[in-house]
Amino acid sequence: MKVEDVVCPFCGCLCDDLVVEVENNLVINVENGCTLANEKFMGDHRLKNPIRREGGSWKDVSYDAAIRETAEILLDADRPLLYGWSGTHGEAQSVGVHLAELLGAVIDNTSTVCHGPSILAIQEVGHPGCTLGQVKNRADVIVYWGANPIDAHPRHMSRYTTYADGFFVKEAFRERKVIVIDVRKTESSAVADEFVKVDRGGDYAVLSALRAIVRGKGDLIPVKVGGVTRDQLFRVADICKNAKFGAIFFGLGLTMSPGKNKNIRNAIELTEELNRHTKFTISPMRGHWNVYGSNEVFTWISGYPYAVDFARGIAFYNPGETTSVDVLRRGECDACLVVASDPGAHFPRACAEHLARIPTVQIDPHVNATTCLARLQIPVAVTGIDAEGTAYRMDGVPIRTRKLYEGTYPSDLEILGKIYALVKEAKGS
Amino acid sequence: MRVILKTRPRAKPKIPIEAETIIPQNFLRKNDILVYEGNKERKLEDLFYVTTEGPAVSPDQVEVILTGNTGVIKRVGEYMNAGRIIVEGDIGMHCGNFMSAGEIIIRGNADSWLGREMRGGVIRCEGNAGHYCAAGYRGEKRGMRGGMVEVLGNAGDFAAEYLSGGEVHIHGNCADLPGVEMRGGTLTIGGDCLRPCGNMTGGTCRVFGTAHQMLPTFRRNGSEVTEYGGKQYRMAVYRGDVANRGKGTVLIRE
Amino acid sequence: MTGMLVKNAYVIDPLSGVNGEIMDIAIRDGKIVEEVGSGAVVIDAGGCLTLPGGIDSHSHVCGTKVNFGRYMSPEDMRAGRTSRKGVMHVTSGYSVPTTFGNSYRYSSMGYTTVLEGAMAPLEARHTHEEFTATPHQDMLANTLFDGNWSIMEAVRDKDVKRAAAVVAWTLAAVKGFAIKLTNPGGTEAWGWGEDVHSIRDEVPRFGVTPAEIIETMIQANELLNLPHSVHIHCNNLGVPGNYQTTLDTIDLAPDLNKERQSLYLTHVQFHSYGGSTWKDICSKSEDVARAVNARPQVAIDMGQIMFGRTTTMTADGPMEFKLYMLHHNKWSNHDVELETGSGIIPVYYGRKSLVNCVMWAIGLELALLTKNPWQCMLATDNPNGAPFVKYPEIIALLMSRKLREYEMKVIDPRTEHFVPLFAIDRELDWYEIAVMTRAAQAKALGITRIGKGHLAPGAEADIAIYPLKPDELDPSVDYQQVMAGFAKTSYTIKRGRVVARDGEVIVEGANSTIWTRAEVPPEFDLNNDPEFVKKFEQYYTVRMRNYPVQEVYLPRGVSISTEASL
Repeated sequence: MKVEDVVCPFCGCLCDDLVVEVENNLVINVENGCTLANEKFMGDHRLKNPIRREGGSWKDVSYDAAIRETAEILLDADRPLLYGWSGTHGEAQSVGVHLAELLGAVIDNTSTVCHGPSILAIQEVGHPGCTLGQVKNRADVIVYWGANPIDAHPRHMSRYTTYADGFFVKEAFRERKVIVIDVRKTESSAVADEFVKVDRGGDYAVLSALRAIVRGKGDLIPVKVGGVTRDQLFRVADICKNAKFGAIFFGLGLTMSPGKNKNIRNAIELTEELNRHTKFTISPMRGHWNVYGSNEVFTWISGYPYAVDFARGIAFYNPGETTSVDVLRRGECDACLVVASDPGAHFPRACAEHLARIPTVQIDPHVNATTCLARLQIPVAVTGIDAEGTAYRMDGVPIRTRKLYEGTYPSDLEILGKIYALVKEAKGS
Repeated sequence: MRVILKTRPRAKPKIPIEAETIIPQNFLRKNDILVYEGNKERKLEDLFYVTTEGPAVSPDQVEVILTGNTGVIKRVGEYMNAGRIIVEGDIGMHCGNFMSAGEIIIRGNADSWLGREMRGGVIRCEGNAGHYCAAGYRGEKRGMRGGMVEVLGNAGDFAAEYLSGGEVHIHGNCADLPGVEMRGGTLTIGGDCLRPCGNMTGGTCRVFGTAHQMLPTFRRNGSEVTEYGGKQYRMAVYRGDVANRGKGTVLIRE
Repeated sequence: MTGMLVKNAYVIDPLSGVNGEIMDIAIRDGKIVEEVGSGAVVIDAGGCLTLPGGIDSHSHVCGTKVNFGRYMSPEDMRAGRTSRKGVMHVTSGYSVPTTFGNSYRYSSMGYTTVLEGAMAPLEARHTHEEFTATPHQDMLANTLFDGNWSIMEAVRDKDVKRAAAVVAWTLAAVKGFAIKLTNPGGTEAWGWGEDVHSIRDEVPRFGVTPAEIIETMIQANELLNLPHSVHIHCNNLGVPGNYQTTLDTIDLAPDLNKERQSLYLTHVQFHSYGGSTWKDICSKSEDVARAVNARPQVAIDMGQIMFGRTTTMTADGPMEFKLYMLHHNKWSNHDVELETGSGIIPVYYGRKSLVNCVMWAIGLELALLTKNPWQCMLATDNPNGAPFVKYPEIIALLMSRKLREYEMKVIDPRTEHFVPLFAIDRELDWYEIAVMTRAAQAKALGITRIGKGHLAPGAEADIAIYPLKPDELDPSVDYQQVMAGFAKTSYTIKRGRVVARDGEVIVEGANSTIWTRAEVPPEFDLNNDPEFVKKFEQYYTVRMRNYPVQEVYLPRGVSISTEASL
């Protein structure tokens, strides 16, 4: 059976034009997807049922027993952490926030190791952005800074930027100018019209220099800034000022370089400065297909987009204090529930060690690095394959993921709903 | 009045204690002082041995001394407006936030956000301070507005971020971007630092060590002589941050 | 159901012609009925002011740009936080509260129905998710069409019926309620960083003018028989001298509907400025009110500003950028492909700013100079003018000249030379306030047909009992009590359930989303129209199949069906 207009639950591009062939509750073919999509849909090897660590081996347990044990672990804790969320649907994320609220827990999502700094910058200076279709239809200048879309967001260029024809840009490939700024050559820089090689850690200085040039104060710029020549700086500033519509996309090259949120802030302030001359937007290349969704859900319920601490009965937010990496590294956390993400693979070693020390439960269909640190794992349906729900694309556009077939696994929403009910009962609410 | 708070041993000593109630004026009242340990509300006596010596009729006569495993106690001195707090060791995050008067002395190291959004009073840390020392709150335009924060050791990243008034003095080194976004007040760094005063719009910063990776958007404006620690130093004068509408001054030892 | 009886209520129900009668209200199964049996739960209103539940006809509480406003403003979030209490969730936010925050605070003021001021069709799903998380108010969405490419093409082709077909398709697809135009044409121009400066300016690359868009949409609206009229945020918001644009826009309005206005202008305070620069800006409320008074086919809401901090957020992208250039505060922008735009920036309205004082006066003047209270509704364009929790203060100002005089002493002393406010004696009475905060809205939005805004049998049992005794109070003097009374109901009843008591919400909510389904003849069904479908194939970045808001997002949706006259 062929299903059209399928939404891909992998990266922040959230492509919704896939054509997927399903047979006997298995995806056997994917059209229009990139290699990441193919792997997501067809490389789906799941745990058969919940497993529990006993001594040196894993034992099967029932869903009910696993759910009950999870609730007990969370209720027992003085400082529980609910982490992940970016790989599941919004309805489940919602339950997660309410669960954290009930428990007095810390709840955090993958922004914490990804675009958290972008959010911090937005909280300092705002976010002049747009939906991806605005870029596709209008942009004549595209800037990728600290991002390698060909590798991490393979269809970004063909769906939204470099190669995407739009209403006002009928021959994108010819009419668009692409600038790639990075510390090294990449596949993306290979297709750029202008490649700017920045020294590691030099982005902040380069951004400050560009701002000064755009402001007309370029006279004080020295011969080289952050490894970039004065000539090239002026050339890039010129291209931007003369654009009809410029769009900057940035990735972890900026968020995880020294300065972090200050790098992003500088890039946003450059964009705001350029808006005095022409139309310019800036957008983060969100990684997970629904990390923005977790920011949205966390925010409309608690007021804050990630790293929310409910310990004292109010919503409290302070990245650096309430963020997962810090809470784990300091050994503050005494129980952890991981949902739809893989901190074992992404977090610093000290955090992984702590996760192994405390009771850690993972709700995830696949065996991953976090499995090795957990004592209990509950497999669930995969959103976009056998579970459906709301996702938010990297530009904030909400799209509902599809359920391709009626599977046998419960969804994140169902499992979390049951945990929530048990916790609510125990607390006598 | 002297109040001595000595930490009791705890089953989970790494769980922070949120103790914004530990301010001198709260010890004048007879009511229970409550603190949070993780998501549990506790009485002060549950977590500390409390000894009170002598009387006081106003908060400026109260001196609170914290000893023991103090490095995970957060928010001590928050909104303090009188009296004295002495920490015989390290102190946790947010010590002295929003302080408007009084004195806090930390014998050991201070964790991040020491003196955030301070309005007045004096904080003296004899060890090192963490990140965001004397900084502002994200989203607000102004940070510390008055008072004095002094750190005898080193400070982490973003010291005096958003500084708008008052004085911050780090005797040792600062890490990345001290004085970033500052708009007023004075920041003095006795040692080295990295990329001082990014995006500065006002105020004065003096660096007596080496300023590494000085940003290209500061305009050199001659030299001047200034006094520090009883000695005279010749300083290069910079104005900026020109990337912004900067009218701040950065003095770097020549 | 056993039913409920509200006894001894001092009822003002303008739509039913009741003005200050002590009566009992019987409720069963969520509706007001003639009578209930002896087993009914009794609530004694104690002779207190009892009104139909409050209806806000223009408030920004749910959706993409509202949430933007939240997560970019942690300092606003921490300024308004409350703890968990009983069934009440944690809330955060002072000028942009979280959804539960909005819901509880509206409930405390007796509001049971809210129209979200702006929803971009492409992002409607987000609005609906937040609607469900605002559980104590029935919600409706103003659907943005100001920069809609299919609409502008229909306008260019002078094809009103096609415009109507686009509206019908879109409202049904995204479960929207009404047509919203924000800076029509301007939001598309902003896609290039430009704007329009009069209703006769051409929108770059589309060759249509705001006037043409507005006229076409008014016609389309009436062809579709939509419950509400076109709802417009005029061009040139905030620009000194813009009152002329407002008068020009009002002049466009034909009288096409017997039940209600044909054009609703929102937050008109922001559009009533004389002068030509910030230095000589003055009030033109008299001119605007005169135009409104002469045209029963026009209705407005105040857009009152109140002093203090707040956050501005509108679909009017270029206007928000202008504010950024002026104040250099943190600024967010979000243009929506083929449809509209938006911008967000925090502001501070100060008593020491002459301009802000003039703005403050204008809102009040509009309410006092519009003769017919049914034509001028109370709103602050929440949160643009002020957070909605300030409504009780505004009511007090409208009811008390003394309070206005007191304010005059603490604002910029030059203000009285630029505004007529302090020469106006009129004080609104309880009846007029009841009209301006619920009855007029129900009529203007066309929702009396589903039982909103009145208390006659058959109506929805949405009732607000305020701790105020009109016969024992003189609102022109007791303004403190008026403020306190309207801020916190003794009881807020929604669909026959007590949801709030003395400012505390006591049950979980189960609200409805109300939307409009305009039935069009098959030849106007755009699902297979090649030009329309092409938009999704080539220009949108979301597929046509994935664009509509699925039923699952409206767990208790209520659709109002209309028959189009195409």
